[in-house]
Amino acid sequence: MNDGYRAEADALDAEILTAIQACRVPDFNDLALRIFAHQLRYNKPYARYCSSLEITPARMPDSWDTIPPVPAGAFKEAALCTFDPSQAFLTFETSGTSSGARGKHHLEDSSLYDASLLGSFEQYFLQGAGTIFRFLLFVPHVRGSRQSSLGYMMDRAASCFGDGQEQWFIKGHTLIVPGFVAAARVATDENVPVILAGTAFSFVALLDDLRERGIASLPLPAGSKIMETGGFKGRTRILSPVELYQDLSTVFAIPKSLIIAEYGMTELLSQYYDRSGEEPRTKAGPPWLRSYAVDENGKQLLPGTVGALVHVDLANRSSCVAIQTEDLGAVFEDGGLVLIGRERGAESRGCSLDAEALRAVS
Amino acid sequence: MTALLNVPARKIIATISNAAERWRDADFPARVRATQRIAERTGYSIPVVEYALDRLFFSIDRSSLEAVIAGELGEVEILDGFRPRPGRTDAWACPIGNVCVISSRTTIGVALPAALFALCAKCDVLVKDREDSLIASFFETLREELAEFAQAARAEPWSSHDENAPALDSFDAVVAFGQTETLATIRDGLTPETRFIGFGPRASAGYVSRESLSASGAAAEVARGAARDIVLYETEGCLSLHVLFVEDGGAVSAAGFSQTLQDEIARANIEFPRGEPASGRLAQAAHARALGAFRNASDENAPSEPPPFMPRLSHAIPVANPADALEYLSRHGLALEGFALADSRPDVVAMAVTAGAVRITRFGELQSPPLAGEHGGRPRIAEFVRWTDKTF
Repeated sequence: MNDGYRAEADALDAEILTAIQACRVPDFNDLALRIFAHQLRYNKPYARYCSSLEITPARMPDSWDTIPPVPAGAFKEAALCTFDPSQAFLTFETSGTSSGARGKHHLEDSSLYDASLLGSFEQYFLQGAGTIFRFLLFVPHVRGSRQSSLGYMMDRAASCFGDGQEQWFIKGHTLIVPGFVAAARVATDENVPVILAGTAFSFVALLDDLRERGIASLPLPAGSKIMETGGFKGRTRILSPVELYQDLSTVFAIPKSLIIAEYGMTELLSQYYDRSGEEPRTKAGPPWLRSYAVDENGKQLLPGTVGALVHVDLANRSSCVAIQTEDLGAVFEDGGLVLIGRERGAESRGCSLDAEALRAVS
Repeated sequence: MTALLNVPARKIIATISNAAERWRDADFPARVRATQRIAERTGYSIPVVEYALDRLFFSIDRSSLEAVIAGELGEVEILDGFRPRPGRTDAWACPIGNVCVISSRTTIGVALPAALFALCAKCDVLVKDREDSLIASFFETLREELAEFAQAARAEPWSSHDENAPALDSFDAVVAFGQTETLATIRDGLTPETRFIGFGPRASAGYVSRESLSASGAAAEVARGAARDIVLYETEGCLSLHVLFVEDGGAVSAAGFSQTLQDEIARANIEFPRGEPASGRLAQAAHARALGAFRNASDENAPSEPPPFMPRLSHAIPVANPADALEYLSRHGLALEGFALADSRPDVVAMAVTAGAVRITRFGELQSPPLAGEHGGRPRIAEFVRWTDKTF
C-alpha cells in the first residue's frame, strides 16, 4: 500500500478510536461517508459493486443510510478489505454453509475491534458495574479456533474484566460439563460473580446435560450474569428465548434481567445488547453503530417496520462500513432494535454452528 | 367395485373435458370464486392465478386425455373390458381401486391431473384439498356433468393431525406431492400392497447457448422467456427457472445478458405483478437479491453456492460449456424437472438429459407443461390400473 493509503487509514482509525473511547460520534454522517469514500478507493470488490449501483467517488451518497450495503454473503466470495488480505492481522471466518464456503472478514489490525467490543461490553453488558468477574465460557477457545470472532471477543473481554481465571468449556466438539459444574461450584464457594457466556444452542445442550446428570440447580454467586450470543434458529431445531431464559434463570439462580442477549456477526466489529429490564426486549448499540431495515428490494423502511436489517458500523474501517444481513428485525427512531430472528434456511452465523455440530456429535 | 366402473371411459373423458371447458371461462362463477381464494391462500396476484388456471384448464381436453391413455395403455377401450393386444394376451386395465391424492401447499391445482387420470382409470378418488377448495369446486362441476362423479370424486381439506383424517393405508394407491420428509413419512405409513406415487421437490434449469447470444435481439427474446419462467409463481414451482447457465463466447456477453434479463424481469413484473410477499422470507430474499447484484458486478469466478430459491430472483451462472453446467448441477444434487433451452444444440440437449431433466422445452414455456407429457418423469395413468390378463 502506498503512503497515501497508510496516512488516510491511520487518520481515520485515530478518529474512530477517539469516538469509540469517548462513546460519542460528533458527526456520524460525515465520518461514515468519509470511511465509505476511503473504501471506494481501496476496497476493489466493494467499489465494483458500488459502481454497478452507480455509486462512485464522483457520485457519492449523501447520507450514511444511503451507502450501498454489501450483502454479508459476499464475504464468502471476495476479499472485502482495503488492504492486501495476506497482510491481515486477524481473519475471522463465518460458520460455513451447506456448500462448505466460509466468509472471511480480514482486519488490518485489532485496535478498532478491541476498542469497539470492549467499549460496548462494558457499557451495555456490564453496565459499568466495576466488578471483577470470573468468565465461564461455552464458546470456542480462541487458541483452538483463531478464526472465531466470538472466541476472540470473549478472550478480550475476559482479559479486561475477568479475574484471570477464565475457563472454556468447549473443546473440539465436546461440551465439558463436569468441568463446568466444578468451576461453578468453586466460584460460588469463593463468592466470585460469574459471567457465563455462550450461544443459545450450547446453553440448551448444557441444560439438557445437567438434567441428565440430575443437576436441577447450580446457583451462581450473586451478581453473576449470563450472556447469550444468538443462535436460536439453527439447523436442527428452533428454540424459544423465553423458555431458554426461564430455564437458565431457574438453574443458575440468576434473575432474567441479568440474562442479556448479544447480537453480532462476524462481518461486524460492533455489537448490540439487550436493553436491561425491558420486556419485550429491544437492543441498544453503541453510537458508532447504526442500523435500519429494508424491504425485499432493498428500499429503506420507516422506523418500526419489520424488514431485513442493514448495519452501518464505523469500526469496519478496513472492510465494508455497511452490511446487509439475512436477519429480520425492526429499528426504531431512538436507534433501538428488535431482532425477530435469523430466518429459517439462512445460514447460521457466528459460532452457533460450532455448538450445533457439537450437539450432533455428542 | 368403484363408482365409475360401468361408465365407458370415453364418457368419463368427455365429462372431464366438458367440465374443464367451463372452467376455461374466466367469468365462470366457480372459477371466479376459486381465483380469489387461491390468491388469498398463495399470496400470488390475481393475474398470476388467472394464468395458472388458464394453463391448467386449457391443457385438459379430450384429445390430450385420449392420447395419454392410448399411449400408455394401448387404447382407451381397454379401460372398459378385455381387449386383444397385438402379440400379447388379451387384457383389461382395471381400476386399482381407491386412490388418495395429497396435494402440496404452494402450487395451484397440482393434484388435479393426477386425480383426473385416476378417474379416467375408473378409480374412486379422494383428494386432500387446500384451503382454496379448487379441487372440490372442479369436482362439483364434474358432478353437474355426470352424477356418478358424486361417489367417485371427493375432495376435502384435512390435517395429518386430525382425528378424522383418512387412514392412508386403506387406499390402494397414494399420490403425494411435497417435501422429501413428508413423502417419507407418508410412504412409511403405507402397507406394502399400497402403490405409492411420490412427487418430491424438484428444480428447473436453463441453458443459454452462445449461438443464441449472437445478436442483441435474439438474446432479448431468450431473456423475455426466461424472465417469465422466473417470475411466475414467485419462483416457487418445480417448473420455475431456478438456475440459468449462460455460455461464454457469444456476441452478447454473459454480463450483458444478465442486464437484459433484469430488464425483462422488470417487464414481466408488470404483466404478472407480485402478490403479498411472504414476510418470513423477506430478509433472505433481500439479501439474495443484493448478493446477486454483487455477483453480477464481480469479476470473481462463477458462484459455487446453490441456487437461492428466492422469489423472482435469477441465478445466472456463466459457463464455458455444458460440462460446467452439469458439474454445477451434480455438485448441488439438484433433482430436475424442467430444462429450458434457447436452441436444440445436441451437446446441450444431451447434458440436460444426463442431468436428469424430465422435460426439455424452450424458454418461456417451462411453466406451461402439456397434459400429454409426463409429470416427474412418471406415467400419467399407468399407475392407476391393475392389469388383468385373459388367456382363454
